Amino acid sequence: MPERVFRESTAEPRTRAVPLAHLSLELGHLYMEDFQLGPKRLGEHFAEVRIWADAVRARAARRVKRPRISTCFLIDDYFTRFSTPDEVIPTVLEEAGRAGLTIDYLARESGCAVADGVALAESVAHRLVESPPPGSYGFRPPASRTGWLTNGSRSPASPPRTDRGRTDWEPPVETAARNHSIFMDVELWSDDKNGQRVWSCSFLAAVWQLARLGLLRHLGEPVLVPREQDVAALPPDWDRLPPLIKVSATKAAFSAYRTCTLVPHHFLPVENAVRLVLDQVDVDTAALAQVAKRSADEGMPVPPEVAQRATYVFYEEPGDPIEDGKH
Amino acid sequence: MAAQTGESASTVLVCGEVRTCLLPTTQALDRRGAAQLLRLRADMYVRVSERPIMHVLSPETLTGVDCRLPASDGSRTRAVGTVIGRAALTEGRLLQTTSYFGLPAVGPDTRRPWGQYLVRPGIVEPFGMLPRKATAAGVLQGARRGELDTGTIAEGLAAQLCRHELLDRRAPFASAPTRLRWVALRTGGDRPAALTNFTLAEDGLRTVKLRLPPDVPASAAAGLCEDLALHDWLLTHVQRMLDDHPFDRADDSRSLAALRPAVTHLLHLWMPRAHVDGALAHLWDTLEAAPGFTRQWQNLVQRIRDQLTLLDLAQCRRAASSKGCEE
Repeated sequence: MPERVFRESTAEPRTRAVPLAHLSLELGHLYMEDFQLGPKRLGEHFAEVRIWADAVRARAARRVKRPRISTCFLIDDYFTRFSTPDEVIPTVLEEAGRAGLTIDYLARESGCAVADGVALAESVAHRLVESPPPGSYGFRPPASRTGWLTNGSRSPASPPRTDRGRTDWEPPVETAARNHSIFMDVELWSDDKNGQRVWSCSFLAAVWQLARLGLLRHLGEPVLVPREQDVAALPPDWDRLPPLIKVSATKAAFSAYRTCTLVPHHFLPVENAVRLVLDQVDVDTAALAQVAKRSADEGMPVPPEVAQRATYVFYEEPGDPIEDGKH
Repeated sequence: MAAQTGESASTVLVCGEVRTCLLPTTQALDRRGAAQLLRLRADMYVRVSERPIMHVLSPETLTGVDCRLPASDGSRTRAVGTVIGRAALTEGRLLQTTSYFGLPAVGPDTRRPWGQYLVRPGIVEPFGMLPRKATAAGVLQGARRGELDTGTIAEGLAAQLCRHELLDRRAPFASAPTRLRWVALRTGGDRPAALTNFTLAEDGLRTVKLRLPPDVPASAAAGLCEDLALHDWLLTHVQRMLDDHPFDRADDSRSLAALRPAVTHLLHLWMPRAHVDGALAHLWDTLEAAPGFTRQWQNLVQRIRDQLTLLDLAQCRRAASSKGCEE
């Protein structure tokens, strides 16, 4: 076929690729409660994390000679605002350093809701394609309106009446159940008394996973892109801090083929919900294809399912700081 | 054509339905309005093409299904996957919503995790072997209750768009939507694409059968069928305008009123294959040879122009005679 002479760029939009590391390793989340317990408690977290971070690195080195691993850390400024960047961030970096860890990228949790004027969480919400329970033949399920997402069919709100006029409870059903169901119903958002949408922690964490997997785009352009930040010149206000900053000299990119998240085990339900969400997001197809091709070219193809690219280590919450010489 | 990557090689049958209707609004939408209407996803581009005719194409959305496939022989094959939905607007006036999906020859006997279906958008997998011929015939006959219904999805999308706040819901003239159901049998590599059947059924239903080589994406077939449906809609409606109006008995002002919508809104829309994939544009030749779509259109346009000339002549004659009376 002869090559086309006439083209219209608005008819053929492009999707830009992002640089990709092999692994994005998350060294933790910081919430106000953790911070209030003081730097020593933070140090305990990092000391625990260090052990698992070493294990994760050792595992990566088995697969590829010189793994490109970037580390990241998430600070909550969405659910509770506490302290200021110029106070919190140096403490976090210092305590991580003391444990022998380097944090390469730091993100604000509110950046997963809105980053650089782009309503990221809302875009991802629009991309939810719910897992259809058997019998779905084309009617769109309404869950995108309710703000709840399940892995199956809920119990009927008004159970059918039995012959004796009694109403019988009917159990919910997990669509992909093996013999027995593990049914989950995840709240994605709620609206506060001012009508303002509040995204749930699990939903924002799902957006965070997609960002780390290099799968977020807005009109073909990457979003939540890291910006260089001089740690000596941090602003005194969270709103003036870019949503994602680079705080080390690493050459490894923020986004990666796979993610590994190290968190205390009370995060288990949240991360389980994250997987439920990731399993039902119709990710940008072009971005998906870019990652699949690049990883395959490097001889380490990613699993086709997005949720399978995220792994976790749930470690035991450290207790009180261990005193020197006391074991 | 992002969403179709890698899908064509594995499918043996592609099915879809196009719904074509007049956009219910007084003024045709301009480029901006059209792009705003069809922005089904905030984070994705709407494809806008202005030459040789304004054609705006929405991003694709997915609907999850898990149900029986329609079948002419009564076979009951369960299938799971996603159906693609999209909308197109031509010259800001004719709205088309399409849903389509491809079927592989064989699928696993159990339902897989949903994330695995989502990374192959537009593929619906049968449980076991696909009864290809019976399914193709079943789709063209129309889904029965509980069977995968592309019409429901296309109709739902049309209804959603017609409620958009940009539209005043006042169509400039009465019209009826048409439905075009299509199936495309995938051929071996050496057999060329072909249009093997176009049937005009009752109640605004049309059916099309195609043969599609493996390297032509399903979206190209959808695009061809949208183009066929658009021009069929134009022929149907302009023909109806001429047929329904008693030109020989009606007074001139009513005749003019009957012709005006065609001239104002429709005559400039005839532009076969303007936005059809190069690999399939030649399939129009089949319809041009018999029955001759463009031949019929030119005939209709000529009839309209002749009627307008007659009306003009009559008006001149009246003007001349009234002038004569005055003298």
